[in-house]
Amino acid sequence: MSASILSLTNVQIFYDRVIEAVRDISLDVAEGKIVALLGANGAGKSTVLKAISGTLGREDGEVVNGSISFGGETITHRRAADIVGRGLVQVPEGRRLFPTLTVVENLVMGGYSQAASQTRADLDRVYALFPRVYERRDQIAGYLSGGEQQMVAVGRALMAHPKLLMLDEPSLGLAPQIIDDIFDTIIALNRDTGLTVLLVEQNAQLALNVAAYGYIMENGRIVLDGPSERLKSNADVQEFYLGFGQSGTRKSMRDVKHYKRRKRWLS
Amino acid sequence: MEYFLFLVSSGLVVGATYGLVGMGFAIIYKATGIVNFAQGELLMLTAYIAFSLASSLSLSLVPLMIVTIPIAMVIGIVLERVFIRPMLGEPLFSIVMVTIGLAVILRGVTIMIWGPDPHEFPTGLSTQVVLIGPVPFYQVQLYGLATLAAVTLAAWAFFRFTRLGIAMRAVAANEGAAMLMGIEVSRIHMIAWALAAAVAALAGILFASMFKLGPTIWFEGLRSFPAVILGGLDSVLGAALGGLVVGLIENLAQGYIGQGLREIAGFVVIVVILMLRPYGLFGAREIERV
Ligand SMILES: Nc1ncnc2c1ncn2[C@@H]1O[C@H](COP(=O)(O)OP(=O)(O)OP(=O)(O)O)[C@@H](O)[C@H]1O
Ligand SMILES: [Mg+2]
Repeated sequence: MSASILSLTNVQIFYDRVIEAVRDISLDVAEGKIVALLGANGAGKSTVLKAISGTLGREDGEVVNGSISFGGETITHRRAADIVGRGLVQVPEGRRLFPTLTVVENLVMGGYSQAASQTRADLDRVYALFPRVYERRDQIAGYLSGGEQQMVAVGRALMAHPKLLMLDEPSLGLAPQIIDDIFDTIIALNRDTGLTVLLVEQNAQLALNVAAYGYIMENGRIVLDGPSERLKSNADVQEFYLGFGQSGTRKSMRDVKHYKRRKRWLS
Repeated sequence: MEYFLFLVSSGLVVGATYGLVGMGFAIIYKATGIVNFAQGELLMLTAYIAFSLASSLSLSLVPLMIVTIPIAMVIGIVLERVFIRPMLGEPLFSIVMVTIGLAVILRGVTIMIWGPDPHEFPTGLSTQVVLIGPVPFYQVQLYGLATLAAVTLAAWAFFRFTRLGIAMRAVAANEGAAMLMGIEVSRIHMIAWALAAAVAALAGILFASMFKLGPTIWFEGLRSFPAVILGGLDSVLGAALGGLVVGLIENLAQGYIGQGLREIAGFVVIVVILMLRPYGLFGAREIERV
């Protein structure tokens, strides 16, 4: 593996001092790679991302053990603004746009950590990636469709000039066509600009197709990790995450649908 | 007719001070989610400070406002730091209780320093009546209306076009996401208090120069409350307009229906408006689809 830009070492996270959401996580994200973090509902994926972004505090969460380092420096208990400033930027689960602001205003806020003089050029860059966002730029963000909102959310994060972009379930609730568009954009950014990506997904199929390396989380622990190809051929991964039975055929659709429905309820 | 015009002009002028105080309420509520019950006391303290400045430096109205604003902002920042910041993350109800406590403290401190006797507020303005069309105004009243107009315009531009202003709206819309952008939420809260104190100071100076500076001036804060509710608690510009409307209604109610009615007219308006439009005239409905 090439040099890692982000690494977590034995990280343990509590909410409200009593709820142990993440038990012991170690993971590395190699510079310039797309790395997937997979797992079912409640595995602790979002909690890990919040810990990295320094935003656990507002939910009474805390990293009680272990350390997180980015670009060789420890950032474990740094402020969120400091972490964004270093180029570690998160697109949160469920988009979290500023619903009452216009699309441009959302984007401008994405660039809050950057010099104001760059805003113009950065906006143009985002518009070039997402022409739909350009068309919608003067609309109130809360009224956009889910797909458009996700594009704005990714664009907003790009305004901060990320070195590493963390995406928390970008495919959630979107139509396949839109998911493809968004993933194509992310793959292109990774390929053309060397953007490193940490991708959290429940859709393992999708994630392992774009990622070079994957981690699988269960109950606050990493239970399996390896290059995507190896994970995809692992029997357990096939059965539990890719929806194949042992025989290599798709498990009953009912199970898959049930799983999706569960996801919708819980998110 | 003359009587009516007189009621309108004085109503608008009182309404301008309501509007300014109301904007203070709205700024803090919008950025922090807290109803600051010490807004009237901020007005009181800053008006007394302005009084001391005006007497010792013999400043006239406009320079006095300009000098008082930064002082008021520092006071707002200090109060937020000392009383509100430590409460971050506590239930909103507790924080609102703290602002009520703060109100009592500020009132006490102000009376301790400046004494309980009312003062004539020196403005250096002439008391001649100016006719705008058929409507008579005192000079100081025109300054009041102009101040409201200027502050409203400035607030509009600030929230619409500056990065800081947009960031304040972003924090109001989604604090967690704002943090992910690198916006320091505590800094935004601090700025909200500074701005609220600044408009409180303007309102205080104007009110004191139109009437008198006395130990009951804090009550202006509560009197302005209908204006904010009318405009929508989270609408800064709505508060300005709400102030004018409430000022008018109060004055007309008092002039035509009877004394005594002045105090309750505004609150009657709130009840009616809230029954028709629960978010106030300009308040944002939650945008559900997110
Ligand atoms: N603010 C919170 N306070 C207390 N417990 C929390 C909080 N947020 C998450 N948890 C708990 O921590 C555990 C991990 O949650 P997390 O959101 O990280 O899971 P996830 O893997 O992202 O799941 P999903 O795929 O549903 O988004 C869950 O058991 C959850 O109930
Ligand atoms: Mg999650």
